[in-house]
Amino acid sequence: MKTKEDIEAFERMMGQLEGLYNEISQLAKKSPNDAVNAFKLKFVNRVLSTANLILDASYRPFVEFSEFNSDDLPTNSDVTMMLTQYMEQSERFRSDNVIYDGGWKYILDGESSDVGAAQPSRIGRNR
Amino acid sequence: MLIRPRLTDYHGILLPQAELDFAIPFFDEDTPLYVDPFMLWKSPSQQDQALHTSLINAFNHLGQLAKEGEEEKAISILVAASECDEVGLGSSATRKGKRIGCAKAEEIIQLFKRLPLYSARGFRHFEEIQFYVDGISKDRISDISCSFLKSFLVDFTIDQCAKLGIPTQDSRVDNVYNYRRNDFEAQEGIRLPVNPENRKPLIFVPKRWLRFTPWISYDDYFAQACPQDEISHVPEELKRVEVLNYNRDHYGVVEEYVTKKERSFEDCKNDPLFSQLPITSAKRRYELIKKLPTGKTDNADRKYEDALGQLLPSLLYPKLDFAQAQARTDSGVSIRDLIFYNTRANEFLMELLNDYGSRQITMELKNVRSIEREHIDQLNRYLSDELGKFGILVTRHPLKRPEFQRTIDLWSGQRRAIVALTDTDISQMVDLFESKQRDPLDVIKKKYVEYRRACP
Repeated sequence: MKTKEDIEAFERMMGQLEGLYNEISQLAKKSPNDAVNAFKLKFVNRVLSTANLILDASYRPFVEFSEFNSDDLPTNSDVTMMLTQYMEQSERFRSDNVIYDGGWKYILDGESSDVGAAQPSRIGRNR
Repeated sequence: MLIRPRLTDYHGILLPQAELDFAIPFFDEDTPLYVDPFMLWKSPSQQDQALHTSLINAFNHLGQLAKEGEEEKAISILVAASECDEVGLGSSATRKGKRIGCAKAEEIIQLFKRLPLYSARGFRHFEEIQFYVDGISKDRISDISCSFLKSFLVDFTIDQCAKLGIPTQDSRVDNVYNYRRNDFEAQEGIRLPVNPENRKPLIFVPKRWLRFTPWISYDDYFAQACPQDEISHVPEELKRVEVLNYNRDHYGVVEEYVTKKERSFEDCKNDPLFSQLPITSAKRRYELIKKLPTGKTDNADRKYEDALGQLLPSLLYPKLDFAQAQARTDSGVSIRDLIFYNTRANEFLMELLNDYGSRQITMELKNVRSIEREHIDQLNRYLSDELGKFGILVTRHPLKRPEFQRTIDLWSGQRRAIVALTDTDISQMVDLFESKQRDPLDVIKKKYVEYRRACP
């Protein structure tokens, strides 16, 4: 990440991924086979396309997947599965972009910044 | 050659019944619903109420004629009013009804003389004649109503045809009631749609007037209001004629029943032309399908077809109007099809019409362990006529690779599409039917999109 705006965009995207995951995973528990309606799908796709912009190729969960096609009638469990993948990869991306410097900070342009970050949960805990 | 042709589909006007104000007429059979004059009486619309008043005035005029000694004229008007073939309502399989005889008409006209209530003030609801005369039921009430209202119905039909672009032609309409002369007359040169099979004019009826049984009906009266014990001490032996005779001498009972029905008018609703299964029943049908073995053991194939025959029309309504379930025998194998009218209600259905010429959509039901080459060939042969070149195989399991390839080859070589719906897809359609998150038809679209992606 290069600027503080990048961090802000990333955190907003993470928050939205989590929000959608919480919402749709509840539906998936109740009726996994049920389709996600067109309204919800539009916003899921919007968040995924932001994630695709932020996460470079090495963090994209699947090369052949970029967003859901409404014609494929994605189900609650399809969407939950993909959101989980994106959340995992976003956290890996975050973990690789934070550093311990008297507290966890985001790395901007290769340097520790003054923007605080939560402790990474996946890798890089010893950084 | 369309299966169970409807006027609109015949003329390429592919609209769902749910979107139209009238019951779409069939060419070869009647629509199994009836005009209930009570629907006009209870309507909040001044127009409908006024039409009810005209209807009752026309009917009561028969009593007036009888009182003035013109009984024969009254009888001939009533006989003429007793059938209205142009509207095609009822249960006839031929769209042709029979009029009542003069004796029956006379019996009805006599009510104006015999019963002081009607002699003094006429009928308020002419369907009360069911309570006094044998052989008068919902179809007759409906036909008499339509005959006396024919002039309005003709205007309604012309208006609807102009709105939808349904072709019309100069027609002669018999027995149009003239309120100035209080008599029927034939009218020439009226532009109406015609039945292409016999060139006879067709008249539309507003959906809002239609019910399976009239609100004021003999069966309801018999069950709810008729003092059965008083008429016969042995209820099992109580005959309809005895009840009718009793009513003639105790018309107060009928009057009381009718007043009660008027009071509860808010509960009187028109009946839909198609009723969807409730969600719980749809789920139950799917559970039944899921448990059925493949093949013919214990009539499993018949049960599979019956359950799907009930389920699919409900799942796909109103985007696809159900036309007919028809059984064929193809080299000793019984095949059940479900035929739907393509209503062009969305882009997918429009594509099926434009790319495959599908004015109707055929589904073939196969309760087999695996679809074989000949099953695909059977459906393919069926697609070659004017039904269109898109067909759906409804079966238990996904197609095996060679059979799937065969469907792909059909597209490559002849631009025909065959899509398979399996138990999993039906399950998803039932889920969508319940959750309403997406349209169950989207499952068919999904299968079609998957199929097309596999095509070269």
